[in-house]
Amino acid sequence: MTDTAVELPNDAEQPASRPEPPPGARNWRLGIALVLVVAGVWSWTGLDATLQDVLEAPGKALDIVKEMWPPAFKAVIDRGAVGKIFESLYVAWIGTMIGAIISFPLSFLGANNVAPVALRVPIRLLFNAIRAVPELIVAMLLITVVGLGPWAGALAIGLHSVGTLGKLSTEVIETSDEGPLEAISAAGGNWVEKMRWGMVPQVLPTVVGYWLFRFEINVRASAVLGLIGAGGIGGELVSQLNFRNFPEVGAVLLMVITMVLVIDTISGFARRRIIAGSGRKIDDDETSRTVGLIGDLGGSGLT
Amino acid sequence: MSETALPAAARPRKPRPRLGSYVLVVGLACFTVFAARQIDFRWSSFVDMWTNPLWGRFWPVPWDWVLNRRNVFDALIETFQIAIISTIVGCSLALPIGFAMSKLTSPNAPTFWFTRIVMNIVRAIPDLLWGKLLVTAIGIGAFAGTWALTIFSLAVMVKLFSETVDAADPLPLEAARAAGGRHTPAVRTAVLPEVFPAYVAYALYVFELNIRASLVLGLVGAGGIGRIVETQRSTFNFDRLLGILIIMFVIVVIIEQFSVAIRKRLV
Amino acid sequence: MIIFDDVSVTYRGGVHALKNVSLTIDDGEFVVVVGLSGAGKSTLLRALNGLVPATSGSITVDGIEVVGASAKTMREVRSRIGMIFQTFNLVNRTSVMNNVLMGRLAKVPAWKSTLGLWSAEDREQAFMAMERVGIVEKAYVRASNLSGGQQQRVGIARALAQHPKMMLADEPVAALDPVTTHQVMGDLQRINRELGITTLINLHFLDLARHYGRRLIGLRGGELVFDGDISRVDDETFRDIYGRAITPDDLLSESTGA
Repeated sequence: MTDTAVELPNDAEQPASRPEPPPGARNWRLGIALVLVVAGVWSWTGLDATLQDVLEAPGKALDIVKEMWPPAFKAVIDRGAVGKIFESLYVAWIGTMIGAIISFPLSFLGANNVAPVALRVPIRLLFNAIRAVPELIVAMLLITVVGLGPWAGALAIGLHSVGTLGKLSTEVIETSDEGPLEAISAAGGNWVEKMRWGMVPQVLPTVVGYWLFRFEINVRASAVLGLIGAGGIGGELVSQLNFRNFPEVGAVLLMVITMVLVIDTISGFARRRIIAGSGRKIDDDETSRTVGLIGDLGGSGLT
Repeated sequence: MSETALPAAARPRKPRPRLGSYVLVVGLACFTVFAARQIDFRWSSFVDMWTNPLWGRFWPVPWDWVLNRRNVFDALIETFQIAIISTIVGCSLALPIGFAMSKLTSPNAPTFWFTRIVMNIVRAIPDLLWGKLLVTAIGIGAFAGTWALTIFSLAVMVKLFSETVDAADPLPLEAARAAGGRHTPAVRTAVLPEVFPAYVAYALYVFELNIRASLVLGLVGAGGIGRIVETQRSTFNFDRLLGILIIMFVIVVIIEQFSVAIRKRLV
Repeated sequence: MIIFDDVSVTYRGGVHALKNVSLTIDDGEFVVVVGLSGAGKSTLLRALNGLVPATSGSITVDGIEVVGASAKTMREVRSRIGMIFQTFNLVNRTSVMNNVLMGRLAKVPAWKSTLGLWSAEDREQAFMAMERVGIVEKAYVRASNLSGGQQQRVGIARALAQHPKMMLADEPVAALDPVTTHQVMGDLQRINRELGITTLINLHFLDLARHYGRRLIGLRGGELVFDGDISRVDDETFRDIYGRAITPDDLLSESTGA
């Protein structure tokens, strides 16, 4: 058994010199850590809270949680809470529909592969502008116009959703295959026909998935909008909180949590079925799209 | 060639959509109509919205009042401070908890299930609802708002992060175990470097969310500029309100661009 | 010294990966394990360091029982065993240095390694390990920027940083081209000779096995079917182990370059 391995440099010859650690990385990390510490400390001073406040807060919160048990379901249901929960659902549903219906055609006008610049730019600006206004503010303004109640909430959710759904749908269109469009052109089709037969079938599964996802978020949003009187269970929650009826608060909270979890599960299930059924390949752009998509994860959607 | 043509293949019938699909679509349509009526859907609103005389009161914006430090600026600073602390604290906690919540790196089954369930429930409560709850518990003001957003940031971050960890390469972790490492150091050396860029991207994203949320926290009494917004609205000073809204809008857009730019460099 | 005593491993789902395997390996030996895919080679190695739990039988490493050992004991045993993998198992995003430092995990207190606080001694050991395989000039290069052969050397350095008594190599060269394959096999041979580290290597290519091995172990269907000095091995032996005729795919020299 001979050693035919290629001779590696061994210690007898000039040993390869040990490199120095690259300086840049270290500095970056220190710099960022410093920024975070400074920002954190500065923010802390502004909050006007002492260490004692911090230590006491969980205690106070826990006290309240204890008072929520047992949750007063009967009292709350007698006041029509179940109806309010459904009202929140209706608000979220209609809001999402409004958002979907308006944003879908607009998103075609905003895509850089199917629409001219003159249309694209204003449409995208519109989407971004709508997204930047918090939903709660929109609701607040709408209440002054259409009055208190669920309709203001649904409109607010609907209009805000136009922004996020519009942006997401535009991205889907831009990353789709343009081959079918070419084929339809060649066959003599006009722009609308190209979109209807060439683009819509491709993007619809993903876009509907986004609609469902938005619905999940809007359910949370509608619960919150109720806090300022735009209908739904939020109003009930606020009343109970103001009277400090904690068992009732507990009951309402549990109902909200259940509603959200149920909708999340159903919606998640539906979304998976749709994406699986479409057979659409998830490409590497998914990462960047996901990072963008998470722009809509969590929050009451008011963000 | 002789004429033995094949018998014409029987033309297939167009596959009909399953009954279930019909039922689903019709059901959804009915539900939509029903829901619309329940919430007092009004077509007129789409027009009214634009022509309401109230809009006139929004203009012109009294910039001297709006840009006055005492009125708006201080509250804006508070808004930022809330967002910064919530993000830092929430995301820091989300690192270990996110690892605990991921199938790949969770130390044991009970921890995994416990954190998952708790976090899902926490996430089911919207951030502003947390705000209202905490205001009731510990009093009005930015302190409550910070707690609320911290809790919420934690829940959102943890979900995003644990999903990334789930998709991470398990092989280096195997090597770390094979070298005799304990669980936590193994995770830190073998998994963390892979998922760290995503972690930072998500943290930036959560910061964005928090800025937006903290802008409106004041509407439920939890500090920040929302308080001022509410005051102006209820006293019908719509012109001042518009000024504030414009500032909010600009801030959100700037932060978003900033955040997107940094995130692009990471992914 | 490694002793397998009537060891069987059955995976969940009913696959009998190892059946009643018994063998003894003395310190300092250089052993090559061959067998078809699924014959149990990988399982044999992984049962040894507990990555796969043995269903029955006993495995002792230097007198310590591995089967059913506690987590603490297992870590102790593993710290003495260095392992290198076909897929290298490096952390791609980070530097070679950080990868090699992972070999020190068993020697450094958990809290320190969690915070990334490696001592000067740890770095010294890492450097020495890198020097031994000739990769030190790449210490701060990102692992994914290296070639396959270089990455495997990093894997070897990581194992060496443990100061192991034995080395397990699970098809270490299967993903490498012929030239690099010989480099890595030579490295392993040299380490065995110079440092006296007991070496157990799973190999797919039979000519490599015959060329580098000193003792050959053959597995077929989870059973030990050959255990002896390499000089007693001929084509007939391989055919018995494989249970079929040898094809060009089984030989490195005939392979189309990995």
